[in-house]
Amino acid sequence: MRRGWVIDLEKCIGCRSCAVACKQHNAQPPGNWWATVETPGSKYHLTMPEQGRGYFLPVTCQHCKNAPCVKVCPVEATYKDKDGMVLVDFERCIGCRYCMSACPYGVRQFNWEDPKKTLGKLEYVENYSYGYPLNHRKEHNGVNRLVYMKTRFKGVVEKCVFCVHYYDNEGLDPACVRGCPGHARFVGDLEDPNSTVSQLIRDNEAFTLIPEKGTEPSCFYLPPSRKKKHMTEV
Amino acid sequence: MNKRRKYSLIIAFAIMLAGLFTYGYQLREGLIVTDMSNLFPWGLYVSALAFFVGNAAGGLVLSASVYMFGITKLKPFAKIGALTAFANVTAAMLIVIPDIGQPLRLWHILRYPQFSSPLAWDVFVLSAYAVLTIVYLYILMLPDLKGPGMKELSEKLAKRIAPIALVFAIGIHVVTAWIFSTQMGREWWFTAALAPDFLAVAVFVGTTVVLMASVLLYGIKDQYKEGYSILVKIITAMFFVHLFLMYNDFFIKAWYGAESATHVFNILMDSILIHIFEVLAPLLAIILLNSKVRNSVSGVVVSGVILMAGVFAHRFLIMPPAFNAIPLTIKPLGFIDTYWSYPIATGRYVEGVSTIADYWNYSPTWVEFTLLSGVIAYMYFVVALGVSILPVKKED
Amino acid sequence: MDSKLTRRNFLKGVGTAVVLAGTGAPQLKLLKSGKAQENSVKPIFVRSTCSPNDTGACGYVARVDDGRISTLIQAADYPEEDYNPRGCLKGLSFINLIYGKDRLKYPLIRTGPRGSGEFRKASWDEALDYTAGKLKEIANKYGPEAIGVTVQVAGTGFVQKGALVGLTKLASWTIHHGYDQNGDLPMFWPMTFGVQSEELESLEWLNSRYTMVFGSNMLQTRLPDVKQLIKSKNKGKLVVIDPDYCITASRADEWVSLKADTDAALALGMSKIIIDKKLYDEQFLQDFTDMPILVREDTGKRLLAKDVKELSGKARTMEIPAYRELFVFHNENKFAILNPESLQSTNAELKGEYTVELTDGSSVKVKTVFEKLIEQLKDYTPGRVSAITGVPEEQIRRIAVEAATNGPLHLVYGASNYQWYHGDLKGRAIALIGILTGNFGKSGAGISTLAGQYRIRSDVTKWWYPKEGKLNWVPYLHFLKGKGKTTPYGKFPESGIKAMISGWGNPFDQHNMANILRDRATSGELEFILTMDFSMTTSAQWSDVIFPVPTWYEKFDITATVLHPYLQLQQPAIKPLFETRTELWIVRELAKRLDLPVDHFYPELGENEAAVKATELLLETGGFETRNITFDMVKKGPVRLHSRAPNDRQIPFYEQIHDRVPFPPRSYPVPLEATAQFLKSGRIELYKDEELFIEEGEQLPVYKETFLETEYKQDPASREKYPLHYITKNSLYRVHSTHSNNPWLNELQGDMPKVYLNAEEAKLRSIEHGDMVEIYNNRGKVQGQAVIDPGSLKGSCYFYQGWWSRYLGGGSYNSLIEPWIKPLHEIYFVPGIWSPTTAWNECLVNVRKVNKS
Repeated sequence: MRRGWVIDLEKCIGCRSCAVACKQHNAQPPGNWWATVETPGSKYHLTMPEQGRGYFLPVTCQHCKNAPCVKVCPVEATYKDKDGMVLVDFERCIGCRYCMSACPYGVRQFNWEDPKKTLGKLEYVENYSYGYPLNHRKEHNGVNRLVYMKTRFKGVVEKCVFCVHYYDNEGLDPACVRGCPGHARFVGDLEDPNSTVSQLIRDNEAFTLIPEKGTEPSCFYLPPSRKKKHMTEV
Repeated sequence: MNKRRKYSLIIAFAIMLAGLFTYGYQLREGLIVTDMSNLFPWGLYVSALAFFVGNAAGGLVLSASVYMFGITKLKPFAKIGALTAFANVTAAMLIVIPDIGQPLRLWHILRYPQFSSPLAWDVFVLSAYAVLTIVYLYILMLPDLKGPGMKELSEKLAKRIAPIALVFAIGIHVVTAWIFSTQMGREWWFTAALAPDFLAVAVFVGTTVVLMASVLLYGIKDQYKEGYSILVKIITAMFFVHLFLMYNDFFIKAWYGAESATHVFNILMDSILIHIFEVLAPLLAIILLNSKVRNSVSGVVVSGVILMAGVFAHRFLIMPPAFNAIPLTIKPLGFIDTYWSYPIATGRYVEGVSTIADYWNYSPTWVEFTLLSGVIAYMYFVVALGVSILPVKKED
Repeated sequence: MDSKLTRRNFLKGVGTAVVLAGTGAPQLKLLKSGKAQENSVKPIFVRSTCSPNDTGACGYVARVDDGRISTLIQAADYPEEDYNPRGCLKGLSFINLIYGKDRLKYPLIRTGPRGSGEFRKASWDEALDYTAGKLKEIANKYGPEAIGVTVQVAGTGFVQKGALVGLTKLASWTIHHGYDQNGDLPMFWPMTFGVQSEELESLEWLNSRYTMVFGSNMLQTRLPDVKQLIKSKNKGKLVVIDPDYCITASRADEWVSLKADTDAALALGMSKIIIDKKLYDEQFLQDFTDMPILVREDTGKRLLAKDVKELSGKARTMEIPAYRELFVFHNENKFAILNPESLQSTNAELKGEYTVELTDGSSVKVKTVFEKLIEQLKDYTPGRVSAITGVPEEQIRRIAVEAATNGPLHLVYGASNYQWYHGDLKGRAIALIGILTGNFGKSGAGISTLAGQYRIRSDVTKWWYPKEGKLNWVPYLHFLKGKGKTTPYGKFPESGIKAMISGWGNPFDQHNMANILRDRATSGELEFILTMDFSMTTSAQWSDVIFPVPTWYEKFDITATVLHPYLQLQQPAIKPLFETRTELWIVRELAKRLDLPVDHFYPELGENEAAVKATELLLETGGFETRNITFDMVKKGPVRLHSRAPNDRQIPFYEQIHDRVPFPPRSYPVPLEATAQFLKSGRIELYKDEELFIEEGEQLPVYKETFLETEYKQDPASREKYPLHYITKNSLYRVHSTHSNNPWLNELQGDMPKVYLNAEEAKLRSIEHGDMVEIYNNRGKVQGQAVIDPGSLKGSCYFYQGWWSRYLGGGSYNSLIEPWIKPLHEIYFVPGIWSPTTAWNECLVNVRKVNKS
């Protein structure tokens, strides 16, 4: 099993609902975004870089097969799960941020202060906080790892957990997939040639981001279609 | 102990305390009190790690010179070499602690070490080197502590330990360099030249540290002049080796002219003054050290400080061109020669300020400077206290 | 892994939970302290409907732990998989408004000066008594019509919003139609089709083979539905006509860049090509449009059968409703009466010029509307159209032919395109393409406007209009600009509006005469301002009394909006937070205190039970559209409204075309007579012959140059002084001004208002990306951070509307806009349908760099 995504850039409308769904369900404090969407070539999202060209690019943890973040972690807090997900054990992470430096995708984030304090800046009523409320533990090499918690510790690294809590507990797709109004995101098993994701990759000339870095991402993109249609000759 | 040294120790201690209190403040508030961000996850502390590791090379130079290559003129400085090495390698380990988000979990490195992580190796080699330097110092001091009868044993042990220490001494620079140079995502670091360059820098700055300490301890006396001259030769030679390694790497990257390299050089241009300083300051120091200036204590110390400042600038420059050249820089589909970097959430929320950025103008905060000062003070304190209470100075 | 299967399993769970929660939601324990105990209570899942003023009405499931909403996610429970998931970043971050710092908690009574935001906490009794006292006082002094009420976007809450309408009627107060207030009425609809508005449900977009989007940034403003637009490209072609390379243009098969506000010329040019190449649908024009109707050359009016010698006798014997008229057509060498009550085939001649003898013995020359149209289109040669629009001739010719030969054709006409002084003319010209090609009444064919769609989906009158009292309709612009030309629906209050009651809106930011509102509030001319809201909006800040209300996760209501024809419930996932009470309860309490009859509001029931009862009433009395739909069905999940089209699809004018039922269909809630008067022929009318249309030369759609009758007329110097168009677009991150205070969404836009500038224009003013700039004209100014937008056309400047005043240093982006009223919009008055609207984009400005503040 190698869990992976396919993101169809033809269908991505750049609305960032995935980013917001993720922020909400995975309780990211202000300032941290596990998932983002940008307009390649543009200084500001949703302004087209030039007339006649433009598309949107969602980026989140690529759950790489050859994940630099996993290799550099001095304490094996970041590890590769048997299902191909790159996870962070929030109890083990020492907060050295080596993985943030090593990740070529810029998706790893740090709790520079107590997330409760950051959240406090928003002044919710009655200390409200959002997100999937339960801790999620998962066995890895005989150790129970804390791979999801709503309020992370100060000084640990966090990033996309592939909604492992939804996957394990309810068999649900990640929040970004369920929250995508463009129906542009797909999840499945990259090792199963018959899975939707494998078929989409095969049939649509899927590509990965910065393949030259050798990370072997589990996140594939389908190119935005650019075929010119002239329906009649004049 | 003379009065000036006493006062300097008190001042150093005060700075250490200030650093300690600042660390307490940082512990409470989190690393938010630094100027690092998700884009720029390492700053002054990690630069300082590289700096102190480099400084610790003095022990290597001396032990190798004396006990492997038989340069006896340097023998008087062997103990001071070991002492500065110990002070610096422990300072290197100390300055990493404030960089750790969860310092109470540092023991995880011992409990769950990950074999593939250069940082885990670094912790191992740094600790080993620290132990070796202190053992080595002890061995060298044996005759002074236990009587002249131990002289032979001391010599014998020193000769035996020297090659082992050399391996670890080289190891700390190489492994520290590997922390950076294994990162394929960071064009600025991803070069085989980095480890040898770290070594070259370490040798000339580590030697400078020994030179400064020796001059301060022994003064400019005729019987040491030859030794000083050898040290300056080492410094000079290794500085040029460093320049060669650095510019060789620049040249190759620039010659090929890939966008990723151009990107890095463009960002380096933002810090061009620092780059000029990192080259010219040591160069100036070396010119001075190769002139009559070498014959005055203050001249050597000032030159040494200039050189170290240049090396510190070099260590600081490890970060900006690495982090501001965002690895996820792509040529957007359909574009001919536009490159674009994917912005990153900064992790720092202030109302009215964008939390998504593709450039981080890192300028360390007072907290970072105070903590660094505390560790520099610690390093000085260890050396100064060491020469005061231990028989480091060779009394002929 | 099969995600469908898991979703279904999940929903099964949700279903049970909803049943469990249901009306029993009040049993849920509301945690008063912030220390939620994890895992102590099993979570419950409740389905509700996200109901801001964007009319998206997306189903969401709230996960509730210990009485608090932990997460929200799209319910994705629509029977057609293509509709799933519905919902966007705004719905997903709505918890920030439920639990945000601006949440209103208690009734508040103003203590400081108006607008100061100084209030004191009051009990409900005190606040209600105080309000009732004030309202009584004002009604006694100035008459009940001096109290003006606004209700916004009825489709997203028929029960609670209807309750306020009911109170207004009982009290005989003035009511301003929400869409008059918004000023986004697509006026070509009533003019041409006699309806408020229409659209294809988004599932039908998939059946279009050619989709032309005229200036609608659907990728940003129709998030839940736009996947259908993109999917439609698989079988058809998507053409986006927009001055700017906007994000919607980026996903198009072809982008047509034209000069701003010249769409009418383009559409007329295309129409000319379609006619010249004989690509029009003759049968359709004969049967369903006014093209064969004869027009008198002397008066420019349509020839009336009663004036024609040979037809007057017969005309007198034909019985027709008062809103119809008997016109004349010609076929088989004779004149004939066009029966407005029948759309049976007439074989009427489309082209022809005749002389007809009138009853008074005189003769007059007449021509068919089609003939007149051809004459008019002579001016719209590809060459001239290309000169006006800047679109290459080749492209005009090609897309005209493509559109005419690749049906079904779907035309989308966007709000930022019709909110111009001559927006109605543009709409009529664009409609002409659809009319000529017969693209109505079939799957995938038609016109959609995606804003100002007030048209209510079923009959709500039983709940909205209690028997007693009367509604005094006054257009919002007349409230602020003074009595206009016509107000046949009500009495204009002699001393003006003295008390404002509003809910579901934020006029103190959002109305383009917000400055007048503020002036009147400051001067005391407005004697009482009451706002019901869940957030401390700018308008709430300007109020005398604020009634805090629950959100759509805290109460019951029923929704039915555009683009997806589903009835859905709002259901309480949590108890109303703090002391919030539903609008229905507030209305009932006010009615009691105003000595009005309260029977209508189910006084014997609790507020939730009453809302359920009202929902049941709405379903029972909703007419054809809600036939056989019960509360229990809606409780289980979304239920499709009935329509006349197969499979209850929403296809505009299906009944008219397929079953040949005369135009127009009814626009709820007004009676048919109110709108049928616009189409006296019972057909699609391209030719308008009311006096003012003739005076303005707008009998047929025509291209009129921008600003000639507005900015340039008011100040000829504005041509040089203010060279930039100022467009206030809808933001991805807000629903009008809702979510203006949503911290996540603000994070996503750099936490600061932005001003979008064309690169050349920026360079001209030495403005760089990120500079602080000011947009200004002689009416007002607004500041923001410059964003260089390479996709935008030269001569334009954009600002995304909806920022609350507090983010703009107290200013307003509306202060720059003049509330132009086009006189034609005052010749009838049907609230929310034919009414003075706002030309938001008819505005010229300049931009300058300012120092960072």
